[in-house]
Amino acid sequence: MSDAVILVPLDGSEQALVALPVAKVLAEIERAVLRIVHVGERKPAGAELLGRLRFEAPVLDGSTVEVRTGEPAAEILLATSEMNPRLIVMCTHTEAKPGKMLGRTATNVLRHAPCPVVLVPPGRGSIAWHLQHVLVPHDGTPTTSAALRPAAELAERANAELLVAHVTDVSAAPAEAGSLTTPLYVDQPQHEWPAWTREFVKRLACICPLDHLHVSVVLAHGNPAAETVRLAKKQSTDLLVLAWRGEWEVPHAATLKAILREARCPIMVVRA
Amino acid sequence: MAPTLDPPWVLVEEGFTLAREHELESLFAIGNGYVGSRGSLAEGTALSAPATFVAGIFDSEAGSVPGLAPTADWTRLSTTIDSHALRLDHGHNLEHRRVLDMRQGILWREWRHQNAGGEITRLQMLRLASLADRHLLLQCTTITPENYNGRLSIDAALTGTATQVTGSGTTVAMAIASRVVDSAGRWMGSPQQVVGQLSLELRLGETYRLDRMVAVHTSRDTGEPREMAHRQVERAIEDVNGVIAEHRDAWLARWKASDLRIEGDPAAQRALHFAIYHLSSTANPEDGRVSIGARGLSGTAYKGHVFWDTDIFMLPFFILTYPEAARALVMYRYHTLSGARAKAARLGYRGALYAWESADTGEEMTPPFVVSPDGEIVRILTGEQEHHISADVAFGVWKYWEATGDERFLVDAGAEILIETARFWASRAEREDDGRYHIRGIIGPDEYHETVDDNAYTNGLAQWNLEVGEEVTRLVAERWPEQWRALSRRLGLEAEESRRWKQVARELYTGFDEQTGLFEQFRGYFGLEDIDLAAFAPRTAPMDVLLGRARIKRSKIIKQADVVMLVHLLWERLPPQIRKANFEYYEPRCGHGSSLSPAIHALVAARLGDAAMAERYFRQAAEIDLSDNMGNAAGGVHVGALGALWQAAVFGFAGLRFTDEGPEHRPNLPPGWRSLSMRFQWRGRWHEVVLPESGAERVGQ
Repeated sequence: MSDAVILVPLDGSEQALVALPVAKVLAEIERAVLRIVHVGERKPAGAELLGRLRFEAPVLDGSTVEVRTGEPAAEILLATSEMNPRLIVMCTHTEAKPGKMLGRTATNVLRHAPCPVVLVPPGRGSIAWHLQHVLVPHDGTPTTSAALRPAAELAERANAELLVAHVTDVSAAPAEAGSLTTPLYVDQPQHEWPAWTREFVKRLACICPLDHLHVSVVLAHGNPAAETVRLAKKQSTDLLVLAWRGEWEVPHAATLKAILREARCPIMVVRA
Repeated sequence: MAPTLDPPWVLVEEGFTLAREHELESLFAIGNGYVGSRGSLAEGTALSAPATFVAGIFDSEAGSVPGLAPTADWTRLSTTIDSHALRLDHGHNLEHRRVLDMRQGILWREWRHQNAGGEITRLQMLRLASLADRHLLLQCTTITPENYNGRLSIDAALTGTATQVTGSGTTVAMAIASRVVDSAGRWMGSPQQVVGQLSLELRLGETYRLDRMVAVHTSRDTGEPREMAHRQVERAIEDVNGVIAEHRDAWLARWKASDLRIEGDPAAQRALHFAIYHLSSTANPEDGRVSIGARGLSGTAYKGHVFWDTDIFMLPFFILTYPEAARALVMYRYHTLSGARAKAARLGYRGALYAWESADTGEEMTPPFVVSPDGEIVRILTGEQEHHISADVAFGVWKYWEATGDERFLVDAGAEILIETARFWASRAEREDDGRYHIRGIIGPDEYHETVDDNAYTNGLAQWNLEVGEEVTRLVAERWPEQWRALSRRLGLEAEESRRWKQVARELYTGFDEQTGLFEQFRGYFGLEDIDLAAFAPRTAPMDVLLGRARIKRSKIIKQADVVMLVHLLWERLPPQIRKANFEYYEPRCGHGSSLSPAIHALVAARLGDAAMAERYFRQAAEIDLSDNMGNAAGGVHVGALGALWQAAVFGFAGLRFTDEGPEHRPNLPPGWRSLSMRFQWRGRWHEVVLPESGAERVGQ
């Protein structure tokens, strides 16, 4: 076991526990320590703590629990600055409201965390989780490539398949220099598509080595969020890895928000 | 020797964006038709794909069709100063600029670099593929330490082997000689055939130049390619400045013959220079055994295969400005005639059916399937069904003959191509119960619709091919009776057979509707679903990707100019109202899924007098490589689209056409173009055109 840490905030609700199976597998893959952080109004002790967190003592094997008091997001971020975790794994929201995307705590943690955050939808439940299929949606811009390295590293350590989906809104080419768009002209598909796929993978390989990975590329077009969710379902994706430019207020992050609202699998958000 | 400064003559890339490297390597490629090199950075980057190609040298990996084979990389130059690597991704780049100097045919690079030790080095690089001696390549690198004395180490070993032998037994030999000269032009040490490692003490403010001369020969040119390359490079390294000067003069002469000058639109001017530069970089008048692949010598995409791009889209540029190179291109079709005959025979036809994708032998090279980006395995039918290529080849041959009056070519090679392609169409078309000949199971230029019957473009060109085939038999028989007797005997051609071609042409179904004046693109086309393309604008993906293959086949959306292409090629045969009616019908239904399409629409729109539409399509065509709006310039520049762009300017905006009285112009210049001037050669005489003119148009000689 290394000094690496995976931080799991739990608020005592049943929904929050959906983060645990995902966090445990990620901790095994990353050879990291699981550190659970509970923020409440006061600090309970022993059995009371277990009761409040709604789990049995064996769940804690190989983990630690830290109890803090105060505003939840602020305390989680404070713990993050102290523990320097590799990942934060948490439930997207613990209030059962239809169409809910992120709770207030998860939103604040996501917006201010210095490390990638894995958000687990409560609908996944607490069933066992395995990491066999990782999906990275990519709009062809160098910026979104930020998601690739952590996704590739995770996939390699988990011996999982990495699927990179070139998902673009076809109504406008990205303005960012070096972006790889869908070809507007396909003179001869028997040459154009293999060349385009090679070029895409080469550009990705510049960002991180892909030699030891099973990498597939798929092209999708249409609404990026809807296409990502569709592909995630079709490909039995275990983990979506998304790059995010860090801006949250409308009109920013529309794709991320829509995916968070609709996806049924855990989502790792990486700052670009 | 310095870079050209005039903006319309240069393509400039400032700074460095790693992800764009492959496309820049394509745009900045140098070449002379015999050999071409991508514009890769000498020291390499994580995304560099340097490659040098010799025209016509193909090789294949197991399980794939042959493709243009890269030779050893002669451009690599790894440099360290006091153990600090000179690389764009190390240290700090104070300045970095790449300039494709199209006027002089030189790729320049200027770079000021500061390493982690604070040492600032200025570098200037020059790279060329000699147009004066097509076997020579040259790279010169000047190095100036601005604020230090230090030790320079250079690793300039070849990547790959200097002598390669392809699977078909062709030897490609490369010989290198290098030298270093100081500020005063004195040689530092003796030239070496191959520079591996080299060390040098640099003095502050002094400039040092590393010259690297390469000679390339193949066993197709000489029995001793290796020896020839070594002998030549040893001579050439003695006079580097002379090699540069002769190269520059050769390019200036080329521009004098082929430049097309636009006043009032610098972007259009630069785009046309870019087109002419890359077209000229791919042509070799000295070798009729090779042709120009879809991406020229600028990249590996399309495997160097030769399509109709060459005969229909590129050839007109060469016919009018570089007829010697045009001759080599049509001779390539003569040298690959046996492959075309074999393909026709294999499919049960007579005559010559050219390969849709051709390499060195003329055999069909089209891959049989492709895995699409959504994982679907798609069968590729173009190699079996896209037969208009034979008429395209014949069309190019006839246009060459018309423009040059090259009798020797016609008698020795051209007539045979025209006869064998006509013979093919006569066997391909079948007379049916309606008393008409039909061509069924075909793919036209609109490849969205496969296995169709009576494609208007194919049938129209086949009809033309049959008529011209018959005409050429009479022409040769009348003017060169002795040669005709030998040729007709060799081809087993009786007068009855060529007379029948005329009958087939006359009775060939064309899809023309007298009522509407429209050609139906193929049988049943008018009954397909009409989809409004405007509803999808703007878009960055082709329509077959957006709608899917099944839906696009059921729709009227077409991939590229098809009937419009027929209108362009057979312009003089069609009455004005027919040209206009067909353009107005098909233009809104064209998705321009091929890079060859926008420029042809610009051309026809200009001829029809729609200047605004013509200009819009011209700009779209000009951006295909220059703005990389397709994500696939990485594999090479689109030489066919560049040829089409030139045609849009010349046949569209300048309105150049040829009648029995000779060339004439009906200019349709875009409003912003103050003037267009050019030279061209017609039947051995140079003509100079300046448009517009006050009063009558002038065609000077």
